[in-house]
Amino acid sequence: MAWVTPEAPTRSELSACIQCGLCLPQCPTFRLTGMESASPRGRLMVMSAVAGGQAELNDVFDDLMSFCLQCRACEVVCPSMVPFGRAMEGARIEIAAQLPSPLRRLRRLITGRWIGSVRVMRSVTRIARMVQRNVPARWLPRQIKTSIGGLRPLPKKPLSTIGSTFAPVEPAGAGVAAVLAGCVMDPWFAEVHEATVQVLRRSGYRVVVPDGQTCCGALAAHDGDVLGTRRLARQNVKAFVSADLIVTDAAGCGAHLKEYGNWAGDAGVILASKVKDVTEIVAEAIADGRLPHLEVPRGKVAIQDPCHLRHAQRIVEEPRQIVAAAGYEPVEIDEDGMCCGAAGMYSVLQPAASDELGRKKADQVRASGSTLVASANPGCEIQLRGHLGGAYRVAHPVELYWEALQAADADTVGWSSAGEGNR
Amino acid sequence: MTLTAELRDILGHDRVLSEPLERWVYGIDSGVVRGDAELVAFPETTAEVASIVGLARHYRTPIVARGAGTGLAGGAVPTQPGLVVVLTKMNSVEIDEENATAWVGPGVINLDLSKQTEPLGYHFAPDPSSQSACTIGGNIANNSGGPHCLAEGSTVSHVLALEMVTADGDVVMLGGPAPDPVGLDLRGVVVGSEGTLGIITKALVRLTPNPPDVRTLLTAFASVEDAAATVSGIIARGVVPAALEMMDQRMTQAVERFVSAGFPTDAAAVLLAEVTGLSAAVEAEAAIVEEVAGQNNATTIRVAADEAERARLWLGRKSAFGAVAQAAPDYYLHDTVVPRTKLVETMTRVYEIADRYGIMMLNVFHAGDGNLHPLMAFDSEEEGMLDRVKEAARELVEICVDVGGSLSGEHGIGIEKRDLMKLVFNEADLDAQARVRESFDPDEMFNPDKILPAGSRCFDLGRPPLEGMWV
Repeated sequence: MAWVTPEAPTRSELSACIQCGLCLPQCPTFRLTGMESASPRGRLMVMSAVAGGQAELNDVFDDLMSFCLQCRACEVVCPSMVPFGRAMEGARIEIAAQLPSPLRRLRRLITGRWIGSVRVMRSVTRIARMVQRNVPARWLPRQIKTSIGGLRPLPKKPLSTIGSTFAPVEPAGAGVAAVLAGCVMDPWFAEVHEATVQVLRRSGYRVVVPDGQTCCGALAAHDGDVLGTRRLARQNVKAFVSADLIVTDAAGCGAHLKEYGNWAGDAGVILASKVKDVTEIVAEAIADGRLPHLEVPRGKVAIQDPCHLRHAQRIVEEPRQIVAAAGYEPVEIDEDGMCCGAAGMYSVLQPAASDELGRKKADQVRASGSTLVASANPGCEIQLRGHLGGAYRVAHPVELYWEALQAADADTVGWSSAGEGNR
Repeated sequence: MTLTAELRDILGHDRVLSEPLERWVYGIDSGVVRGDAELVAFPETTAEVASIVGLARHYRTPIVARGAGTGLAGGAVPTQPGLVVVLTKMNSVEIDEENATAWVGPGVINLDLSKQTEPLGYHFAPDPSSQSACTIGGNIANNSGGPHCLAEGSTVSHVLALEMVTADGDVVMLGGPAPDPVGLDLRGVVVGSEGTLGIITKALVRLTPNPPDVRTLLTAFASVEDAAATVSGIIARGVVPAALEMMDQRMTQAVERFVSAGFPTDAAAVLLAEVTGLSAAVEAEAAIVEEVAGQNNATTIRVAADEAERARLWLGRKSAFGAVAQAAPDYYLHDTVVPRTKLVETMTRVYEIADRYGIMMLNVFHAGDGNLHPLMAFDSEEEGMLDRVKEAARELVEICVDVGGSLSGEHGIGIEKRDLMKLVFNEADLDAQARVRESFDPDEMFNPDKILPAGSRCFDLGRPPLEGMWV
């Protein structure tokens, strides 16, 4: 019966692939298995077989599609420019429509509805905190062991920044930056938000965290929940309608917001055009002198490229420029930027592959000789910390820059002339 | 017992695929012909390969060996329902730095080997456009070339020894670490045999020192003739560049949309030349390339300023086939070789054919050795298109053979070009090749129906019955 939804992979998306195979070595799951059916080319071929009626959409199709991390590393090397991420989201929507199951309904409730509620996320945070503080890791099931182990210490009273406004540090004039609070960033990564807000203020932005906003919907989209994804997108479109610049400090959210055109029509296209990752904004402010280059050497930092920053948003240099301006020496760990295995809910749904990729990434960090890692995405951060253990620190590049800036504030000798001149 | 069950006994459940959807993706490679992979097996050791061959023989099931499936001639496509043996998991690398060689598994990705040997100052010279994905096993099967084979030679020049599983399931060693081993050169016979003689399980390859200096020049021309004259001119001056690559305007435009490397999209042809060696030689040769390009009315002469620009230009060249998808959903590619002196004449006639059949033609090729890659972009869903494309392709090959050229430079014959073999070989030639094949694999168990057209083996030709033989 081929496809049943309008969001299914289209003929032009599928026929754009001419099967050259250049995507194979870039694909983490192909590297793990050596199997064509675990490669982007193979997955597109399987989608085409279903689209053309040569194969049926069955549990094997579900397995093959669900094994994909949606890291989109394949898109970067694809000379035919196949929109693989979009096609895979389409395939997942088809699976959700054609193979309903209680487990999938539960996931839809979690990623499409509960995650968007601040109240629910507060309760989840309290439970997670209890587990984090009281349950030994060895008692936890494999699906959540790394995630719980990789969380930052959770707050007793999770706060929400939604509705807050922060005045710029003079000289102002950079405009207004509307920040996406996100579902987990607010309660679990408050320090990253704090750094984002403060560094944006120092760059001359008035910072607002608009009321009425919600989770970006990336997890729902990756799971094929078309209604949930649309509902969340529409809510954010409304909340951010008057914003000129929308800033995210989670790579996965930014990548999804930049594709709101697929979920919220023309209003989605408009919102998408205003979205910037915080690393883009901060790197720009450093380059044009609104933020200083700090010259106190702070040692090495290993750079981990989140897939949805590097492959989906094609942001590569900015995190390096930011940590360099903070006084760190950026160290490369992986020239291909292979996925760490976190991939949203992947670590829960495919723990074996996720663990193997996480171990590989941790080994790359260890080989770099740095005990500090910069990562601009919450999922990757949790995965890295979970696999590296307590001797390593994982932080957002802007967080590292904000710490360096505060240290420089406290010790004026640390001010670089460029920074001083601009203030 | 069934073959599936016995294979699973040896390899375990997960290394044998039998689900229709999983097998579907092994029915095709980068070419356009689809076959039926009945079963797919993933061995990890030579012993497992030998056992698989033994089982396949017992069940009389044909075997197609496969690497990354980047072949362009259907070489890894099963023509009869059978077993596909995928060698991607056999990817060990043992480097012998002192002798500048490495033992590699057939599943090692070409570029991965060069990346591993880079810190030691070496690389694996054959560099097909698919080098980031294709496997060394596939390179050996097809005797693959690549831009840099102009100076370095194709894969056969870089393979010293092969470990192979024969049709009887025996493991044999062909060649050896010595550069010129005694006895019949069976290693040379197997390289380029496209998986029809046995399954290679390990290869000893030569590593090539990285050049001390390199310069990449991008030149552009208002006509294909000027570009071709530059190619001949450079070589006439005694310079053999490490690579000398041409792209026509349509190809350049498609590539530029993907890489944004600053290829001049208004030029009729661009030429990418690379000279390598000691700095003084590089300097002198680059000057000659610039001079000859200038004499032939080059509209652009640009030297890549740094490694990043150089990498960008090469990424463009090596993405050419994939970039065609921007023009049309399907493409059909040939790989003919013509004498360099006939380049202009051949190109003109090739474009004429495309116009006559109403097919979009793009060209990208190894100009230095006259290895053309005329590429027809089309939509196979268009009524009668595929037939038109195949007819045009046949004419195209005939022209190339007519000017003294050859059927294939480096992509192999596989199934797509099999029936064109008669254009270049007579009955006796084909029979000789069929006999070689028969001596390795009398039952055509390995990759049946490939390379040699049906009826190549003439039983009565040049083989008089032995005295006393019953005829």
